[in-house]
Amino acid sequence: MHEDESCKFAACTFFAKNHPGESCGSNGLPLTPSSITILGRSQRLLTIEHTNLCTYLDIIRGKHERIIVVAEVIGKSLAEYSSKFSYEEIINISLQVTNAMMFLHKQEITHRTLSDDNILLDSSGRVKLFNYGMYYMTNEGNEVPFPLGLPRYLSPETILNGGGPAADVWTFGIILLELCIGKLWKNIKPGPTLRRILTLVHANNPAERIAREHDCLEAYKEIPETVRNLIEKCLKIYPSERATFEELIEDLSKINSKTLEDIKQPRGLMGCKLQYLYYWWQLTGGDIQAELKKNGLIKNSPPILSMPIAILLDGGTIGGKTGALFDRRIAKYSLDLLKNRLSHIPPQDFYPLMHERRKDYDAVALPKIIRERDTEYQFYRLLWFQRLLHGYPYTTQYIRTEAEIDIPPLERGDVWAALLGVVGDIEDQYERIDKETPTPTDRQIDVDIPRCHQYCWLLCGSAGHRTLKRLLKAWLLTNPQYVYWQGLDSLTAPFLYLNFCNEARAFACLSAFVPKFLHKFFLKDNSAVIKEYLAKFWQMTAFHEPELATHLHDINFVPELFAIPWFLTMFSHVFPLHKIVHLWDALLVEGPSLPLFMGVGILRQLRDTLLDSGFNECILLFSDLPEIDIGECVKESIDMCRISPRSISYRRFTNEPEMKDPMDIVEVPLDVLLSETCSRISLADFFSLTCQDKCCVVDIRSNLLYEKSCIEGSINVPYSGVHLGQHELKSLGAHPNKVLTEAIRQKKIIVVASAEDETAQLFSDYLVKCGVSRVCVLHGGVSALHTHVPSLFGVPKKTAHK
Amino acid sequence: MATTRSGAAQRPNGAPQTKVCQFKLVLLGESAVGKSSLVLRFVKGQFHEYQESTIGAAFLTQTLCLDDTTVKFEIWDTAGQERYHSLAPMYYRGAQAAIVVYDITNQDTFGRAKNWVKELQRQASPSIVIALAGNKSDLAAKRMVEFEEAQAYADENGLLFMETSAKTAMNVNDIFLAIANKLPKSESAGGGAAGGARRLNDADAPRASSCCK
Repeated sequence: MHEDESCKFAACTFFAKNHPGESCGSNGLPLTPSSITILGRSQRLLTIEHTNLCTYLDIIRGKHERIIVVAEVIGKSLAEYSSKFSYEEIINISLQVTNAMMFLHKQEITHRTLSDDNILLDSSGRVKLFNYGMYYMTNEGNEVPFPLGLPRYLSPETILNGGGPAADVWTFGIILLELCIGKLWKNIKPGPTLRRILTLVHANNPAERIAREHDCLEAYKEIPETVRNLIEKCLKIYPSERATFEELIEDLSKINSKTLEDIKQPRGLMGCKLQYLYYWWQLTGGDIQAELKKNGLIKNSPPILSMPIAILLDGGTIGGKTGALFDRRIAKYSLDLLKNRLSHIPPQDFYPLMHERRKDYDAVALPKIIRERDTEYQFYRLLWFQRLLHGYPYTTQYIRTEAEIDIPPLERGDVWAALLGVVGDIEDQYERIDKETPTPTDRQIDVDIPRCHQYCWLLCGSAGHRTLKRLLKAWLLTNPQYVYWQGLDSLTAPFLYLNFCNEARAFACLSAFVPKFLHKFFLKDNSAVIKEYLAKFWQMTAFHEPELATHLHDINFVPELFAIPWFLTMFSHVFPLHKIVHLWDALLVEGPSLPLFMGVGILRQLRDTLLDSGFNECILLFSDLPEIDIGECVKESIDMCRISPRSISYRRFTNEPEMKDPMDIVEVPLDVLLSETCSRISLADFFSLTCQDKCCVVDIRSNLLYEKSCIEGSINVPYSGVHLGQHELKSLGAHPNKVLTEAIRQKKIIVVASAEDETAQLFSDYLVKCGVSRVCVLHGGVSALHTHVPSLFGVPKKTAHK
Repeated sequence: MATTRSGAAQRPNGAPQTKVCQFKLVLLGESAVGKSSLVLRFVKGQFHEYQESTIGAAFLTQTLCLDDTTVKFEIWDTAGQERYHSLAPMYYRGAQAAIVVYDITNQDTFGRAKNWVKELQRQASPSIVIALAGNKSDLAAKRMVEFEEAQAYADENGLLFMETSAKTAMNVNDIFLAIANKLPKSESAGGGAAGGARRLNDADAPRASSCCK
């Protein structure tokens, strides 16, 4: 049994069906490969948890339509036990099998392949069914080239025309009979076996007939009556006459005398969630495919052998790789590798306490992508997040703080939902939404979905297509103020990708995401919203990348030409999913103004190319966006976002409460906003910057007004004396040049204060053209500040002037 | 850019000078008819089964060599969804050529194409060369728009017309070539077409206008 303990999971493999002949469907698109259909369908199996079912851990798509199924294992299969079981044991095994089967049938999953080699039993008497989802994941066997199920376990109606869930009851009956009187139809080939089963159709009592056929009638009669009754209830020719698993459980519970001793949940590593163990095992270098090769379950044959001998005119082939039968062997995996890797971890670390938060991970300084591949780091992160998520929604604040560092990929779906504040009975809410009634938008959705992130195996299958459509329809129905804009499909994709088997949560996440980040973007007339957004994006570019902004402005390279898909889809139409998740990790933590800075971050990465390019080259660059380092982009954008005063990225079209305090207001009419190069800073933000000595005020009023009363610490550059044509700070005079240069060096924010907006804008624009970063305009100018914070004013010190 | 052009004009080997003309071309049509695929086939010779939908617009360039002229197309590939319609004028304004695309397996897309033609005739530059492309001709088995019907419509409206297939590359280069041939390559005609309508890239107007050297 020691061996069993270190083998927690196993894999088996098979080939999906190849599409014969034509490779294109009626819409001109290639047919979905069967392996992708299987992958899509099997996702649901990954979420099934039951004490008597081996948890599915992974479904891998290998080369040449190969599918590898990874699932939990325990003990040995019934077929591997050589000794006979006592009736007490048989009843106990049966009870657990029927329990599992009843659960599956309630989930509307038919097993079809139940046999003595996929019922696993461990030394403590625990039973688990292994790979019970073959029939389900292969779409009732339609996606594989081989028949499902062992011949001797097939019910008569299965052999004839398929059959439903009741076929599982027949199979169970046969297994029960075998446990009592030994293997049936030994050494008989499949064909004759099937024929024998079909001859049972005429028998009054098939069980007895089988026993007689095997010269076991004596033995059969010796089976306790209660058990024999059970067998006979299962082995009825007509499916409708067979007992259901529910009824069988009732009978079995009556005769079961043995209560299963509670297995002590192991402590330490082996007590961790199986999914975590599998994940960590992979991070330590565990390789499912390598092990399968070692055990001969994957055989490499020269590719030439798989070529067909002849190809017919209709595209059909003769010869070549022939469909093999299902290889029933499984490869078990030892966890020793992982145990060794984590052996130095003290036992108490398996049970992290909330108040003892570990902060000093060594790996934290490494890039995210590397952290995500580090076993030990992921070990600590996962256990910690598991605890935090367990306490959700009461731990929201902790989750947010931790997510700021990073989010473990395995729990990303849960963490995102928590960050978006998804709570309540989301299943019920989603259930109530009509996702089926056709609408005029359907055509657009139908043509968009087969083009949406189709490199992703999950999203390109029919299961993915169907679910994405339902999500979109549900969202449109619950948001009647909005319409379907192309791009909404891409926006939904990441949520579907992370919650593939939890449609309701994908929907809840989308529903929470849009108001937060894309408020009013999907209005039928969204032009004002988009214009404002792009204008803000352009202002942020001028704020952080003045030189670039000036160049792009000069060549008339406006964001309308390239940035609409960026923001309308929050970059989900621009980048592949593995990059989007990292962008959105940051987005969900930092909030709705971050995307503006992400846009600037992308421009910054392309800075040198853009500065050297004219209009055509620039637009070409964005039509075919070069590789962007997302980790770097995220880091930069967060930095930019944090040093930018909140009010400079203020937008009118957000879901946030309206600003009431005049100290906070920076709002201007849209046409004014569109004409301004530089953002406005609110009085409140200005005040706090001043208190921290983080800004440099340039007062551009006349010298006369300045002398009378000015903001303390400000410099005076009378606007009337500025030569707007000369883009050099030097031309402003020696003192202003010195102060500004020093302020730029100290990365201070340059605030332009004026008596009227127009000159403030012209001057700030001038500063941007001089290449000065972090320029903004004081909203309301000097007079507003004087009204609200007169304490900041004084008389200029004479020393400031020579 | 200007340097590139003059470079082409004055070949070091003393070969006769070729005229270089630049034209702005816009693709219009219902979504998923294959606009982006046509451009991708023309510009890069590629075809992607799952070509992503275009939001806003995409921009690509390609050069064609005619007998004595080199024609450089600046191609604006637009979003097909009706909702993005309001953006379209930004792209067809100042265009010297347009390809209006429909899907031969879908009658509705042909109707939409007709609307685009009408709009171009009304709003775009009067000398614009319009081509009608019936795309997805590889799916002829599922044809819903007859060749003759489209040809008759094209003749009536003075449009170039071809059935194309971005997938098999059928007629893709040909339709661009036909447009290139039909475009006026004389100084005056080119200038007229671009007149006042170069809003998109005013800044580099000298380069972007279709004047020839």
